[in-house]
Amino acid sequence: MTMVSDGDWLALWVSIKLALVTTAILLLVCTPLAWWLARRRLPGQALLEALLALPLVLPPSVLGFYLLIGLGPNGPGGWLTQWGEARSLAFSFTGLVIGSLIYSLPFVLQPLKNAFAAIETRQLDMAAVSGARPLDRFFSLVIPQARQGYASAAILGIAHTLGEFGVVLMIGGSLAGETRVASVALYEHVEAGDYANAHRLAGVLLVMSVMMLWALFRWQRKQNVGVMP
Amino acid sequence: MSLAFSLAGQVGQCRLQVQAQLAASGVTVLFGPSGSGKSTLLRMLAGLQECEGEIRFGDQLWHTEGFRLPPWERPLGMMFQAPTLFRHLDVRGNLDYVRKRRGASEEDLARVVGQTRIEPLLARSVETLSGGEAQRVALARALMAGPELLLLDEPLSALDHGHKQELLGMISAIATQVPVIYVTHDLDELLTLSRQVWLMEQGRIVASGKAHEELARLDGPLAQRGDATALLYGELGAYDSRDHLQAVNVARQTFWLPAARQVAGDAPVRLRIAARDVSLCRQAPEDSSILNIHPVQVAGLREVGPGQAVVQLVLGDQRLLARISSRSARELEVFPGAQLYAQVKAVALG
Repeated sequence: MTMVSDGDWLALWVSIKLALVTTAILLLVCTPLAWWLARRRLPGQALLEALLALPLVLPPSVLGFYLLIGLGPNGPGGWLTQWGEARSLAFSFTGLVIGSLIYSLPFVLQPLKNAFAAIETRQLDMAAVSGARPLDRFFSLVIPQARQGYASAAILGIAHTLGEFGVVLMIGGSLAGETRVASVALYEHVEAGDYANAHRLAGVLLVMSVMMLWALFRWQRKQNVGVMP
Repeated sequence: MSLAFSLAGQVGQCRLQVQAQLAASGVTVLFGPSGSGKSTLLRMLAGLQECEGEIRFGDQLWHTEGFRLPPWERPLGMMFQAPTLFRHLDVRGNLDYVRKRRGASEEDLARVVGQTRIEPLLARSVETLSGGEAQRVALARALMAGPELLLLDEPLSALDHGHKQELLGMISAIATQVPVIYVTHDLDELLTLSRQVWLMEQGRIVASGKAHEELARLDGPLAQRGDATALLYGELGAYDSRDHLQAVNVARQTFWLPAARQVAGDAPVRLRIAARDVSLCRQAPEDSSILNIHPVQVAGLREVGPGQAVVQLVLGDQRLLARISSRSARELEVFPGAQLYAQVKAVALG
């Protein structure tokens, strides 16, 4: 591990930071969204769900291309930058976060939605007649009962953002410490024929991914004791 | 506190239209076949179901046009058919969930735990409870709210006989302090619990009144059932320790009940007599093995099903039912006013 170069550690750090920031924002955004999708039936819902699931099937480069246009100085997202120092959100960490939010959204949304849909209406009714108001019910009953969904959503969100490549390649460029993430750094090693460094970085990413998923599945197994009447 | 409501609502294909007033205490059984709207009515009273109309509880307005007091502000305790314990909490956590939100004290909790005998279960995970234990915890949780009205929706339907009796006893005791609306389609639960009954059919309350009167009414649905049963009120009399028989005096007649030991208490007792355990004869048989043979007057007769009739009999100021064949009714000349003897094969207390 010590043989991983400083530049690669920096790229790993950018990847991890990106994954954590993206996942944290997604958990906040997806909580009300998933609740709404899981518990309500409204017109236009199927189309909305299709759009939200689009990143699952769309080649990441397609998404990256549109983001590049959208976030560039002449794109609709460019106006955001008029207050900042950067001329463009593309090729910036903020741009990467925006891209990752869209790209990883279904991986956070779906487990939350499933977890919310699995909560019995009777449990909510019982909480209501027990004196709990709607918001109270959400924090005291829904979130605790959906904790497995939150764990899955968090791990999948982090793992998927770490594994992101096509989108970051399109909109990130490869600025060290800013937008050069681990997967891009690996690609550059391979391009340069530096297989030794490529092996080390790939190894670190592989071990990290296995550890995360292993932790998730172990935790889920422990939660699954017994069946409710 | 008394409850009065006049409600209407649509649930799926079923139109519900009901109005009634609830007695201030005791159990009122909401009785009717599945799909008659009993649970829906209970959910409307709890504020869990959309409806139109008005609900008043004492001087509180719970529901009227354009206003619905939310469920969490109604002073209710509720039990569903399934225990519906909060699955992310242990038993103690389930009680505390309500206690904190209803401002009840630790002393209240200790009292409720004693009342429902769940002390040994407090630290248990709700997933490890048996059906009977889970419903006792659910009852305790409903009581934690310090309710002014208890709404119980077939809470015992999934339990075996022993657990059912235990919980029925607890609910009866609680009902002396808090009015209870109890939904069931089980006649046995109606007989055990009820002083008052509302009979529900196809989204309407078709009859309401004292349980023993509704049970004996020939034009009501209860007397027509195969398991139709009359409730009689009596007072405990002497105990025959040699033959292990307890006397109960009903309208100056003495009923003898088998009892291993003397039944204690001085309150009026209730006797259950199933219509199919009563037969009729013109003269009192002198050499019968049946202990309880009493002179009665026929109040009415109704054909129920092919070849079967149910007869309403007057015993003092109380009513008894007999289910006999149509042929016997004809040959015995059973008509209103006829003086006959009722042979009662089985009597139960409770």
